[in-house]
Amino acid sequence: MNWANVKLILMRETRDQLRDRRTLFMIAVLPLLLYPLLGTILLQVAQFRGEHPTKILLIGGDQLPATPRLVEKPVTAAGAEVFASRHFEETLLARPADKRLLVVDVQPQSLPANAHDVAERQVRAGVYDAVVILPDDFASRLSEFRELLQKRLHGDVKVSDDPTANDKPLSVPDPIILFDAGKEKSQLARSRVAEVLRRWTEAIGQQNMLDSKMPGLAARPFEPQPQDIAATGGRDAALWSKILPFIVLIWALTGAFYPAVDLCAGEKERGTLETLLSSPAQRSEIATGKLLTIMIFSMITSILNLLSMGITTSFVVTQLGPIFPNMPLALPSWHVAFWLIIALIPMSALFSALCLALAAFARSTKEGQYYLMPLLIVTMPLVMLPMLPGMEMDLGNSLIPVTNVVLLLRMLLEGNYWQALPYVFPTALVTLLCCLMATRWAIDQFNSESVLFRESERLDLSLWMKHMLRDREDTPPIGAAVMCGVLILVIRFYIGLKVTMPTTFAQFASQTGVLQLAAVLTPVLLMTVMLTRKPRETLLLKTPRWQSIPFALLLAFLIHPLVIQFSKLVQVLYPLNPAVAEQSQKLQELILGEKNLWLVLSVLALLPAVVEELAFRGFILSGFRHTGSKWRAIVLSAVFFGLTHATIQQSLITAVVGVVIGYIAVQSNSLLPGVCFHIVHNSLALLIAKMTPGEWVNRQPARLFVSYSEAAGWQYQPALLVLCGAGAAGVLWWFHKLAYPKTREEVLHDAIRQQAATPLPES
Amino acid sequence: MPSAFGGRPMIHVRNLTKHYADLRRGKFVALDGISFDALPGQVFGLLGPNGAGKTTALRILSTILRPTSGQATINGADVVTQPDLVRHQIGFMSANTAVYDRMTAWEMVEYFGRLYGMAPEPLRERMEHLFERLKMNEIRDLLGSKMSTGMKQKVSIARAIVHDPPVLIFDEATSGLDVLVARALLQTVADLRAQGKCVVFSTHIMREAEKLCDRIAVVHRGRLLAEGTLPELLAGHQQTDLEELFFSLISQHEEKLASAY
Repeated sequence: MNWANVKLILMRETRDQLRDRRTLFMIAVLPLLLYPLLGTILLQVAQFRGEHPTKILLIGGDQLPATPRLVEKPVTAAGAEVFASRHFEETLLARPADKRLLVVDVQPQSLPANAHDVAERQVRAGVYDAVVILPDDFASRLSEFRELLQKRLHGDVKVSDDPTANDKPLSVPDPIILFDAGKEKSQLARSRVAEVLRRWTEAIGQQNMLDSKMPGLAARPFEPQPQDIAATGGRDAALWSKILPFIVLIWALTGAFYPAVDLCAGEKERGTLETLLSSPAQRSEIATGKLLTIMIFSMITSILNLLSMGITTSFVVTQLGPIFPNMPLALPSWHVAFWLIIALIPMSALFSALCLALAAFARSTKEGQYYLMPLLIVTMPLVMLPMLPGMEMDLGNSLIPVTNVVLLLRMLLEGNYWQALPYVFPTALVTLLCCLMATRWAIDQFNSESVLFRESERLDLSLWMKHMLRDREDTPPIGAAVMCGVLILVIRFYIGLKVTMPTTFAQFASQTGVLQLAAVLTPVLLMTVMLTRKPRETLLLKTPRWQSIPFALLLAFLIHPLVIQFSKLVQVLYPLNPAVAEQSQKLQELILGEKNLWLVLSVLALLPAVVEELAFRGFILSGFRHTGSKWRAIVLSAVFFGLTHATIQQSLITAVVGVVIGYIAVQSNSLLPGVCFHIVHNSLALLIAKMTPGEWVNRQPARLFVSYSEAAGWQYQPALLVLCGAGAAGVLWWFHKLAYPKTREEVLHDAIRQQAATPLPES
Repeated sequence: MPSAFGGRPMIHVRNLTKHYADLRRGKFVALDGISFDALPGQVFGLLGPNGAGKTTALRILSTILRPTSGQATINGADVVTQPDLVRHQIGFMSANTAVYDRMTAWEMVEYFGRLYGMAPEPLRERMEHLFERLKMNEIRDLLGSKMSTGMKQKVSIARAIVHDPPVLIFDEATSGLDVLVARALLQTVADLRAQGKCVVFSTHIMREAEKLCDRIAVVHRGRLLAEGTLPELLAGHQQTDLEELFFSLISQHEEKLASAY
């Protein structure tokens, strides 16, 4: 790739975008206007909530006791009592300023029969936001209650030993608060009134205590005091760490999308793409130049939005501070901004590459715009997932693209650096892989004639099926390989829903058999017959060079200790969830408990070796080899191979082994060495776990290589690992030396890569 | 027939085939094994009705499409395996190769000159020369979106020849142009021939082919029906006029296709 060309394209595209009014509006003007506007609205809403008084109707004003007073009792100059627009007693309010927020109309008449209905109608009609109804006999019952207390105090009433019996005559009917949960203002009124009534009830209780010569604190001897240990800014960090990643990522996506559509679909529409494609810039240079442009705009959009939001928030906070003193909205510190920008770089790259590929696929800007929604539907849940309460970083989550970055970012924003450390590697790896894949996809779109010169075609499913069957190639196309992998995963998922935990080995064996045959073998064989012309070539059913069989067997022995050590490392770094660990322990016991060794080996070594090799090194690998790079094909098939295993820890390990087998299959151009490797690899794990050694294991030279104990089982020593590693490298070198047939795409790929070395002919 | 600029073919095409997968028709053959050679200092004309496969052939020569089978080399570089070398030696212009809306004429030509790897100083000199020759100095700082069709055409020509390539490919370059602009374009092509360039020129207009092309190939339904100089063609098929020749070749081919079914 010629970086001078990439830079040239980048500069041109950036200038082109800056000359476009729409882009400038999206990335610069919109954020600068949006947040101040939102801030203004927020302030107004807050003012509305803070200042608008709620109207309360109190029915049964004559039932109120003289002390403690609930409502202030103003009188006119003439001495008559005023009933309308009164306020609650100041002592019952959280803050004196709240007084004017609650306006109470008091209805003194004793309760009419239909008071409840009338009140309901008034709340519905919005005349009052809430109605408090004091029952008819409230005052009389309350004074009875107080008298009773006095009598008890003076010994006039016999106090029973059973405390529940004492409470019987002491009850006072409950006041009712009528409100309408369907109206926000009514809900607000209810919470305010309930708070006032609670304090009033407390005051009555306290007075009763005093009247009964009991200390007022008897009802509430103590109150728990919560104490926040979060450092200064820590409380705000909790909120910011949830909001900011969301805002940054959404704007990064939006900021990537519009330039991407203009740069690809727009260029197709305006007819300049063909001009550019006939220039000496390579497709990869064009794609990279455009990708970098989109990335710059994505990042600028995100950062400008963040800045604008920060400035607006600081204004809003100073305004709102006095109104909501407990609001956790202090501005985040500079280290927050630092981590956000660090995380923004890979995310922008990923989103830009995705947008670029989608936009390159679109025929016109209009079609390009349509793809925003599907893209958001896929991305939004990944961004939102970490906002779910209780969503924490673990190995599984660290492998979910986008989500992992948001979770990691959150840990960093909260200052949990050490806890975040083990997840940096998987997160970075997954993000990098996704970026590479998306970029590769985008470049492939630029290389694909059918995408660049696509004509509208009527969508007809049956025609498309016919086309698939009629125009099939020797080996499956890339799409069929993906389809096959996805199909296997989906069938496994549905079978998995039906399967229960086995209790005997026979049950386990039949479950495994069904899973292998129904979920893996059947789709592979069907797709091979239906979608390819040469099944033998597709499934690599060819005779290899005879030496590759013993070499594959040897490799399986050499790799075994390395894989065991690797899986131990994985277990330490990313421990299994206890429930899963218990289950796999049970399965392990079930397998080791089975006496018939041949049955165990055929179910757990022979069957999966044959079936899985046919699927992953046969059909799927053959399909992916049309990508033009054997390594890409090997890695992609290994990823699918890994995904079909139960736990994520297992998936990681098997994916690595899958790369090794895939390499053997490509180099030997046969499925057979891989099958042999697979059988030995699976058998070794089973046999060694079953084996208990004699005394020799504790003597030299065995001690140098292995150790054994009841509790820990077999342990491989560093010396053995180094030896095996060197041996495995040697065997792989032998495979590397084999000449293997390349696919048409691989030949072309190599030729295009070598053209730079060919001198320009003299003209 | 060797030309004044040497006998080695600049464009060498053998059995070029292009298939498209079509949902309805199955395999659609856009090019069915065409072969021809074009020499330096020669205007080679591809004459055919719309949908004959001219654009497909020229897109393959300019490495925008890949052939299904067959071989094509430009000045010795293979269009499939050495697309970068090929693109350095050609200037491609078609009805589809538009001008950027948000770039001025000068910026547009400069951009492509830089993509061809030209150093800034020689590029500037070459551009001054081209802008002078094509009378483009008044539109130097005009944005593409403000240009007329004729102005855009001039910019496209300047863009295609800025790096002084030995081969020029013009695909239906005169379509949609008024008579004056089309005439100016044809004059430019004639000038390029005089400079020893190898020009491939596709058209469906007989007059242009007659006036301009040293050799003419008649293409229909992906097949090359006849090829030669105008007198050779007329003599070989006992016709007096290119238009008559064209119609007789096409109707013969149609009859042959009809009887094959």
